[in-house]
Amino acid sequence: MIAATRSSAFAPIFLVAAFALSGSPASAQKAGGTITVGLELDIPGFDPLKVGVYDTAALTASSAIFDTLTTLDANGKVQPRLALSWEPSEDFKTWTFKLRPGVKFHDGTPFNAAAYKANFDRQKDPANKCRCAFYIAGTKSVDAPDELTLVYNLNDPAVNFPALVSFASSNNAVHSPTAWKAKGDDYNRNPVGTGPYVMKSWTAGDRMTLEKNPDYWDKSKVYLDRIVLKPLPDAQSRFASLQSGEVDLIWEDEYSADNIQRAQKDSKLTVHTYTGSGAGVTAFNTKVPPLDDVRVRQALVMALDRKKMSQALTNGLAKPASNPYGDGSWVKCKDDGALPYDVEKAKALIKDYGKPVEFKKLFTATPRGRAAGQVEQQLWKQIGANMEMEQVDQATFPARGFTRQFQVIGWRIIDLADPDVQMYANFHTGSPANLAQYSNPELDGLLQKARTTADTDKRIDLYCQITRLINKEAIWYWSFQNTYYAISTAKIKGLPKMYSGVIDVSRTWKE
Amino acid sequence: MAFFLAQRLLYLVPVLIAVSLLTFSISSLLPGDLAMTILADQATPENLAALRRDMGLDQPLWQRYFTWLGHIMQGDFGRSFRTGQTVLQALAERLPVSIELMLLAQLGALSIGVPLAIVCAARSGGPFDRFMTGTAFAMLSVPTFLSAILLIYLFAVELRWLPATGYVPFAEDPLGNLRFMVLPAMTLALAEWPGIMRILRSDMIATLQEDFISLAKAKGLTPARILFVHALKPSSLTLVTITGINIGRLIGGALIVETIFALPGIGRLLVGAILTRDLIILQGVVLLVAAGFVIVNFIVDLLYAVLDPRIRHGHA
Repeated sequence: MIAATRSSAFAPIFLVAAFALSGSPASAQKAGGTITVGLELDIPGFDPLKVGVYDTAALTASSAIFDTLTTLDANGKVQPRLALSWEPSEDFKTWTFKLRPGVKFHDGTPFNAAAYKANFDRQKDPANKCRCAFYIAGTKSVDAPDELTLVYNLNDPAVNFPALVSFASSNNAVHSPTAWKAKGDDYNRNPVGTGPYVMKSWTAGDRMTLEKNPDYWDKSKVYLDRIVLKPLPDAQSRFASLQSGEVDLIWEDEYSADNIQRAQKDSKLTVHTYTGSGAGVTAFNTKVPPLDDVRVRQALVMALDRKKMSQALTNGLAKPASNPYGDGSWVKCKDDGALPYDVEKAKALIKDYGKPVEFKKLFTATPRGRAAGQVEQQLWKQIGANMEMEQVDQATFPARGFTRQFQVIGWRIIDLADPDVQMYANFHTGSPANLAQYSNPELDGLLQKARTTADTDKRIDLYCQITRLINKEAIWYWSFQNTYYAISTAKIKGLPKMYSGVIDVSRTWKE
Repeated sequence: MAFFLAQRLLYLVPVLIAVSLLTFSISSLLPGDLAMTILADQATPENLAALRRDMGLDQPLWQRYFTWLGHIMQGDFGRSFRTGQTVLQALAERLPVSIELMLLAQLGALSIGVPLAIVCAARSGGPFDRFMTGTAFAMLSVPTFLSAILLIYLFAVELRWLPATGYVPFAEDPLGNLRFMVLPAMTLALAEWPGIMRILRSDMIATLQEDFISLAKAKGLTPARILFVHALKPSSLTLVTITGINIGRLIGGALIVETIFALPGIGRLLVGAILTRDLIILQGVVLLVAAGFVIVNFIVDLLYAVLDPRIRHGHA
């Protein structure tokens, strides 16, 4: 479905009218009221220099406070927001955006190309050592030739670039340069954007209150007067708060399968589900024994009964994954080359290898990490492989990956509108995120070709070749697809698809 | 009394120094590298070295300790690298919530535990006493995370009398504030009252066998007067100690209870700081909380002197 509509984004002319976004009949939408949202985590703040990247909780707030250049509609098609139209250069390495005139930040500062460029330059500046800089490493520079023209100069071609700046991540959210200069260290907790809601108050650990922006450029599509965001870290009491009516909508994930399944049976509640692209994945460090041997890696992958794993960990809610793209991606492969679940074959491969197979896998130091580890441990024991779990806290986990201090590590390919960014970063020779440290000129060639080809069908074919190669070499494997959940009372309407797992309540309404 | 006070205050100094040393070394010994955590995917060797230099992480541990202590002496507890808040700002926001929670919990526990203890002690060995001692024992073994969920289910989801989660500052809405506080305080009180009851009960049983009680009985005083006036005060010495030490247990309990009930207190602040390796917040808050705990117990020491003149005069 998404494949068909998205292909139009690759048409040579990228002019999109500002009015193209037509919603469902206006009569259904009711203005006014407050939505209270229960999120999992405390939001640390919004200044990219301080917090680096936004997590799911921060993204719900940032989608209301900030605008992005573009947005994705229900069909996954790129639509204008702060940018009215866009056009690539012949080689897809330069993208020119025409900006919406007359937009102002909440503090009155005019939004223009210079303000956008200031946001980008601040993150890119090596002196600021922003963790966020990693994710804009592919952009050489941003130019502001005039008030309303913005030019992205990319290092490498990106045929689907406007779709990648469509969600309010720490890189894409546009902050008021006046505000961060004036507030310094305090800006982090006093964010100023151009978005449909303005931050009114924020008590750390308790609640953040956002009020409707009366001067919003698209205010007819914003219905609620107020958004209240509360961190409710405990899954059981979060769900109880929804049942007892203190909150209208909560974040949830498939590890709270009990709650999701109970809500599905409750007529007063609505379960919102979105299966995105990407997957929960695992990388083998192919530079260390026994994982430097392809037979061992293949055996380990073949030993995994994903259906059983899903049953054990998520009551069967999690969808098994056989490639890095998933059902939510426009990349669909007739043959993704997934290794079959085959215990006998796996045992034979281990036997053929001849040496004992013992290794450590890194998991997060959470109950979920432990549960996932125990299930894999059992499945691998059946084929004679001994995995020792090493649990590392979430804060140090990524660093272990990027410094290659692991034998096997759990990771995630997140839901993005285009597979290129992550596939290239994860599998191209020498990339910092090439966790497997695998190098293959054939794979490099395919990745390069896939990012420079504009034709969707040809790209799909290339990405299918890529996954066949990765599956055959078993350098990474995919456990479950990315499925995102939110549960709300039945009164909440208009929640858009949770692209990249973002719960964006800024255009919902209450019946 | 002045001498007693001065002596006790002097004891505080080495205790606080030990607390600061422990706080600093434990949080420095946490697994994981702070510089690496901050930089994550930017953790190139050059960036790491530069950040370690900036943050003074390349200096030896003892030197960092003295730098840290020196700043604290000047009232500078530092600033979170994640939120940009200073330790004092963060604490000022969070502390009132936790203190209120602890006071209410302690009050709840005392108002359940003390009357029950007196009634049990008055008829020790009787059916009510045996029943309550058994109940107290059972309650001691119920973990707070379980009783919290049960209370939420009963009072918030089924009966809808009280909210499941959330918070309003007392100054904004006193009644609303109490509504939010009832369930978390009750959760903590449920874990605390059995200890209070058991200790006071056995102390009172012992007191009731003393000669002066027999004398009071002989004088024909009413049982109620004997229990509340003559027996309670001398029996409450251990109770006061327990109440002081309980503050420490309550801080521990607050970590769980504040998370379940989504109260914005120091428990949540600490859990967040640990998970994100926000060492500056962690060290500062733990130090201040520990100092608070030490001071509360110092006050408890003074209370002994009020309760028992022998301690005041140094004969105990």
